Amino acid sequence: MTSANTVISIEGLIKIYKGSHKPALNNVNLEVSNGHIFGLLGPNGAGKTTMIRILCGLLSPSSGEVFINGFSVRNQMHEIRRIIGVVPQEIALYPSLTAYENLSVYGGICGLKGRTLKQRIDELLPVFGLEKGLYGKVIHFSGGMKRRLNLMVGLLHNPRILFLDEPTVGVDVQSKNFILENLVATNRAGTTMIYTSHYLEEAENLCTDIAIIDEGQIIIKGSLDEIKHSVELSGSLEEIFIALTGKALRD
Amino acid sequence: MLAKLIYKDILVLIRDRGGLAMLFVMPLALVLIMTSLQDTTFRALNEYGIKLLLLNLDNDTLGRAIEREIERSAIFAVHQPENRNDFTDQQVKEAVATGKYQIGLIIPPDATQRIRNRARGNLMKVLSGKKIPDGISDSVIFKVYMDPATRPTLRSTVEVSVRELASRIETQIVLSELAGEISNRFMIPLKDPVLFRQQTIFYREEFAVIGNKKVIPNSVQHNVSAWTLFAMFFIGIPFASAMIREREEGSLARLLTMPCSYTSMLFSKVLVYLVVCYLQFMLIMVMGIVLFPLLNLPALIIDGRLTELSLMAVSVSLAAIGYGITIGTIARTHQQASIFASISVVILAAIGGIWVPVFMMPPIFRHISKVSPLNWGLNGFYDILIRGSDISVVLPYMMYLLIFAAFCLLLALYYHQLKKENI
Repeated sequence: MTSANTVISIEGLIKIYKGSHKPALNNVNLEVSNGHIFGLLGPNGAGKTTMIRILCGLLSPSSGEVFINGFSVRNQMHEIRRIIGVVPQEIALYPSLTAYENLSVYGGICGLKGRTLKQRIDELLPVFGLEKGLYGKVIHFSGGMKRRLNLMVGLLHNPRILFLDEPTVGVDVQSKNFILENLVATNRAGTTMIYTSHYLEEAENLCTDIAIIDEGQIIIKGSLDEIKHSVELSGSLEEIFIALTGKALRD
Repeated sequence: MLAKLIYKDILVLIRDRGGLAMLFVMPLALVLIMTSLQDTTFRALNEYGIKLLLLNLDNDTLGRAIEREIERSAIFAVHQPENRNDFTDQQVKEAVATGKYQIGLIIPPDATQRIRNRARGNLMKVLSGKKIPDGISDSVIFKVYMDPATRPTLRSTVEVSVRELASRIETQIVLSELAGEISNRFMIPLKDPVLFRQQTIFYREEFAVIGNKKVIPNSVQHNVSAWTLFAMFFIGIPFASAMIREREEGSLARLLTMPCSYTSMLFSKVLVYLVVCYLQFMLIMVMGIVLFPLLNLPALIIDGRLTELSLMAVSVSLAAIGYGITIGTIARTHQQASIFASISVVILAAIGGIWVPVFMMPPIFRHISKVSPLNWGLNGFYDILIRGSDISVVLPYMMYLLIFAAFCLLLALYYHQLKKENI
């Protein structure tokens, strides 16, 4: 039963890729509550990216239903796109454009214009430490600057729900902490987050709820305490993860 | 939203200065080089002449007449060895084989006398029933050496010219002999033997046009039409590359999670590249009008048909961009897109009649050429720039090109949906 506080509801979701007999997602049922940071964790090939791509409207489900804020991903993507933000794992920016031009383009497409757009950019620039690089071309940015700008683009239009796919991959400790602190602040301001990462310690500290997915199925979900209680293990999230998914290498 | 997409596409395009320069410089260079080369070939036939080595061993009417006619012809640049009696057949052959001359022509010794004897023998047989004496019915053989690199069309031109000259002079000799025989037999003095040397069949060439259209058939009008079209179709490659780059960088996926449809993204790119393509076209036209005369080439003549040309250019641009969209959507990598796009454009150009006129193609290719968008474009440009046709004549070609563009766009959208469904 979907509660009033639920912003994402996944019911019997199945995705089978062309030419594959094994489902990438196999009867996934999941709910994400409003204002939470939901960690979707799993080994390589578990189905995390497929699920995020379906939630963002980049891929269609084979069967099952997905509702985001009450809108179906099957036929109400236009409404969904207005309330979500996406921070992909790759640096999805135009390298030959300046930071300002990237922000202006993406912000404009999300409906921000003129003074509103400028105010929002001015507001976020110091938060992400990008004041000095605003008029520099992205191609000349450091890895950390690109990552922060990548995140800033996702947050520019103040989305209700933010999808984060490995937002801290490949950055130094300073930038990582900077990004995580900002994510927490953004969440406190009311943004629900769906977060995927291989950094389990990071997930342990950041997420309010966690689901571990393996071979297309959710094998456990809940708060960290609930998970620990459920598997009767008191170690770290990494220990629980290994206990549930095994030590075998994944592709 | 569309304005921001256009703004983004313009910025991405102008920031790649090298790529942008290529978009304008390469088509200009292609049209300039190809037109100059083709014009040189055209002039080689008409002004510079084909280098012909003539060894005239017949010191009589036929040899002198052929020598005179060949030298008078605009097609050949004739060279004769100074010591012709010491010059051998083998030396002529070697001079052509080494590429010094394209053609070597040997007029055999006593050629005139042998034709004269033959004509007399034939007359004797016809008038008195006497048998032709042995030895005078031999044929006169002109030996022609051809450079193997000479094009077949040039070879047939030479063959026809020599045959025609020899045949004309042979006829004159026969007629003169006949006249002399008639004069002797019937004791009628010949008053005006020149009559037999007069040509009675003339050849008048006229371009077939309907009404008062101005026809401008020169190498520039032909080549600018063909190579501009070819260059315009190459815009499909940078277009497809821009799409693939956006996809590989992840920007496309990010845009698709925003309130922005794939159709509007394509529409924005089409608009920007359409402007680029049209500017390319206009620059080529300006080059043809202004720069060509400075380079000793005939000036391109538009003859007030800029509206027709512009509409045709827009139709060709949309077809070329549509082709780029399809390749950019279907190809998985830059390599796939660039190799497929460049080779397929060359194939479409070949079957479309850019290099070889469609009427000279084997029958099956004449049919295939009808489905090449480059053939529609070429026919349209030829109609405007060479035949002086108005918009009503080229409208069907524009429609074909626009239908092709729409088909490509729909195919790309359908394929994009298939990828999303992953079925």
